Amino acid sequence: MKILVPFKRVADPENANKVKVPVGANGLGPKIETTGMEFKPNPFDEYAVEAALRLTENGTAPKARLGEVTVVTVGGPEADQTLRGALATGADKAVRVEATDEQLDGAIIARALAKVVAQVGPDLVLLGKQTVDTDSAQTGPMLAELLGWPQVTFAVQITNEGNGSLLVTRNGDGGVQKVRVKLPAVVTVEDRVSYSGGVTSPPTPATHKYADGVRFAPLPAIMQAKKKPLEVKKLADLGVDTALSVKYLGFEPPPARKAGVKVKTVAELVDKLKNEAKAI
Amino acid sequence: MSQDLAQNRYKADLRDIRFLVFEQFKLQDVLGKGPYEAWGVEEFNMVMGEAHRFAVEVLGPLNAIGDRQGCRLENGQVFAPAGFKETWGKIYEGGWKTLGVKTEWDGQQAPLTLAVVVEEFMSGANTAFMMYPGLAHGAAEVIETFGTHAQKERYLRKMYHGTWGGTMCLTEPQAGSDVGAARTVAKKRPDGLYDIKGTKLFISGGDHDFAENIVHLVLARVEGAPAGTKGLSLFTVPKRRIDMATGASGELNDVTVAGIEHKMGINGSSTCLLNFGENDGCVGELVGDAENHGMPQMFKMMNGARIGVGLQGLAVASTAYLNALEYAKERRQGPSIRFWKDATAPRVAIAEHADVRRMLLDMKSRVEGIRALIIKLARHQDGYLVAKGNDEAAATYHLGQVDLLVPLVKAYGSDQSFRICETAIQTYGGVGYTKDYPVEQYCRDSKIFSIYEGTNHIQAMDLVGRKLGQNGGANLQSFLGDVQKFISENDAHPVLGPWVKELAVAHEAIGGTAMRLLGWFQMGQMSMVPLAANRFLEMMSETAIGWLLLEGARIAIDTQAKLPEGDAGAKDRAYYEGKKAAAKYFALNVLPAVKLKAEILAREDTSPVDLPLESFVSE
Ligand SMILES: Cc1cc2nc3c(=O)[nH]c(=O)nc-3n(C[C@H](O)[C@H](O)[C@H](O)COP(=O)(O)OP(=O)(O)OC[C@H]3O[C@@H](n4cnc5c(N)ncnc54)[C@H](O)[C@@H]3O)c2cc1C
Repeated sequence: MKILVPFKRVADPENANKVKVPVGANGLGPKIETTGMEFKPNPFDEYAVEAALRLTENGTAPKARLGEVTVVTVGGPEADQTLRGALATGADKAVRVEATDEQLDGAIIARALAKVVAQVGPDLVLLGKQTVDTDSAQTGPMLAELLGWPQVTFAVQITNEGNGSLLVTRNGDGGVQKVRVKLPAVVTVEDRVSYSGGVTSPPTPATHKYADGVRFAPLPAIMQAKKKPLEVKKLADLGVDTALSVKYLGFEPPPARKAGVKVKTVAELVDKLKNEAKAI
Repeated sequence: MSQDLAQNRYKADLRDIRFLVFEQFKLQDVLGKGPYEAWGVEEFNMVMGEAHRFAVEVLGPLNAIGDRQGCRLENGQVFAPAGFKETWGKIYEGGWKTLGVKTEWDGQQAPLTLAVVVEEFMSGANTAFMMYPGLAHGAAEVIETFGTHAQKERYLRKMYHGTWGGTMCLTEPQAGSDVGAARTVAKKRPDGLYDIKGTKLFISGGDHDFAENIVHLVLARVEGAPAGTKGLSLFTVPKRRIDMATGASGELNDVTVAGIEHKMGINGSSTCLLNFGENDGCVGELVGDAENHGMPQMFKMMNGARIGVGLQGLAVASTAYLNALEYAKERRQGPSIRFWKDATAPRVAIAEHADVRRMLLDMKSRVEGIRALIIKLARHQDGYLVAKGNDEAAATYHLGQVDLLVPLVKAYGSDQSFRICETAIQTYGGVGYTKDYPVEQYCRDSKIFSIYEGTNHIQAMDLVGRKLGQNGGANLQSFLGDVQKFISENDAHPVLGPWVKELAVAHEAIGGTAMRLLGWFQMGQMSMVPLAANRFLEMMSETAIGWLLLEGARIAIDTQAKLPEGDAGAKDRAYYEGKKAAAKYFALNVLPAVKLKAEILAREDTSPVDLPLESFVSE
């Protein structure tokens, strides 16, 4: 199986208190200040890579690669390190579509990814269900729409049925849902696909116990990551419509939380809940 | 609290490591060069990140379990604590123990500086576990350096990659510090192998259930060889016999585990009493092809092992400090001293109390200082390997500094480790003394570091007896010259100046004491030498650390000036403030004692040896 995993470098949410918006006209800032922030791979994308690797290997020792996983990102050269990290954990190839954040919105990224899909020719696109920076969870669904492929979002378990279809358990609003999907397809994943039983895929026996979570990059693989192909494409060369459909007018940080108050009596609490918070 | 046992308590300071490696000691200058051709900054950082994750996720959760369970001896076989066997598999599968191994033996040939950084994480997360692969690695290095071609082919891949374990067997009941008293004998057989017979004591990793075989490196005396260290030879003695043609492990080789020690710490590491040839069925192979070279062979390997022990000290001390720091920020007790008369004043975190702050900064400056010393040493080793063959003067200089600094790293690093762990317990108060927090284990684990791999007095004697005069004294002269150069360049610095003056005083004091030691040697006044050696080692270590901390502070000051304003630079600014404070504290609170110690030594007090033993206690 050939799998494409779109992968994003995101600002570390642990640094949320460092996010600064310079003040501009009418109180809105022109952009979010990123200097001094720390970046890391989007964790949901790491789960997608883990799932993709499990779907393309014999997981029992000695491990054998049986398919191909390509990771792709849209961004600047600083994202190369993120791609190399994915290559070190086991992905086979990487593609970076050169672009700066200001040139991008979700729709452009989805259009660029659709072009990459056409060039790479995967049977499956696996994505994180969302990125932890903007949390919009739209890239996967938009990409599926552009490709005209079936999609399953919020996957927590994937079974490769071996006949060109996947049985996917997804987290729905009212409980879990099992969906059979024919390849090629787009699937977005939650953290639980990286748990021990998150992926079942022959020839790895169903009894094989993977360690919970994302695998470690073995040291020799880290050294070899540099030798694996990392192709850089220009957004313009992909022939996608680069007109922004989202225009950012300005940014402002969320209002600071007000300090709490201590109430003296239950009556006072009820009164405040009713009249101030309007919660009851 | 048993449900919490499997929790990681290990903490590391990655920012300080990155500072030392790249900002202070500039490892980037040798990356991509000579033996480190395949290595760049990006690889370094990726490996460091992944190693840290391995330490925290795999090794850390087993540290307390290993301590509580300890090892079991059942029917002659040692069983390590739960999870150790799987972890042995994982550490080799991940390639972590072949980081510094040459590519020739399928390793990654990384700079020692990186190996040291990775080892700090792993030893700090689980000291006892890391003993097993550590000894296997050390034993393999001996074979790589002195073995014949056939021996290298037979042993190295398997020992470097975890198929086989390995140990170092020097100590015997009557031969501890006095290695030359070893009585284990080797008798040559017609097939060129040797029959081995004897008892070895305190053998770390002497048995375990991780690997298909264990290769013991045994110091023994060939029948008829001279007494003392001159008559010792080194043998590989496997737990299971090895087929010389195929290299396969076969029947048991009459190496029996007669017992395991019940210890104060590192309980997850088996410490074995081994009998070789109890039933006359134990064979060994001479390492290399000449007898009576055992001691020089072992000596050559001791640098690596001694650096490793100093590093164990740093690793444990660092996580003890960082845990104590975290606790001190949370635990509330008592009001600020500003309101000491006001019973209703708000309670503050204990980290707000001056004495707790003092302990925190004391630990911080020592931990960061010892880390600087170890990375400096590793950087000299890397500098040596890159210079070798194209700049002989530089190579000689770097290698000389490695030799000189090894006893400082081993002895000062291990002595301080125990003391820093003790301060960490004191910082916690009562809970630090309980098993609910990790520091009491750290303290127990750390005590062995000053004892094994040559007690710290043996290190001190190595420093004053061998290292000071090595290369005609050139190593010491270069060291003193390096410190002097820094002093001359910085003693007028507006911020650093007063602190550098303390360094200058210490520098002069060690120069003077080194001369005094030389005088004692020349005058045959030997009784003062062992009395002064430990103290001199401490003086020299503190001077070296003071120098490196101040050098770091200089870089911190210069870099701070270039940081962006406001929040963007806030984290770095806080880090550099800490760097300056650690240097200032060490300069004003530790360095002045160096001169005092020199004055004490100048009084040539010999009362410990003058007092007859019957007067120590007379009843
Ligand atoms: C947990 C543990 C693990 C160990 N692992 C190993 C191992 O893997 N392999 C191995 O071979 N050994 C190992 N050892 C042994 C260790 O290296 C020795 O304990 C150490 O070298 C000291 O020897 P000793 O215990 O016989 O003490 P002694 O040599 O009896 O020393 C006792 C005291 O006397 C001092 N002393 C001794 N001789 C002199 C002298 N000439 N001048 C001045 N002072 C002196 C020492 O400094 C010390 O303070 C281990 C020990 C322990 C406890």
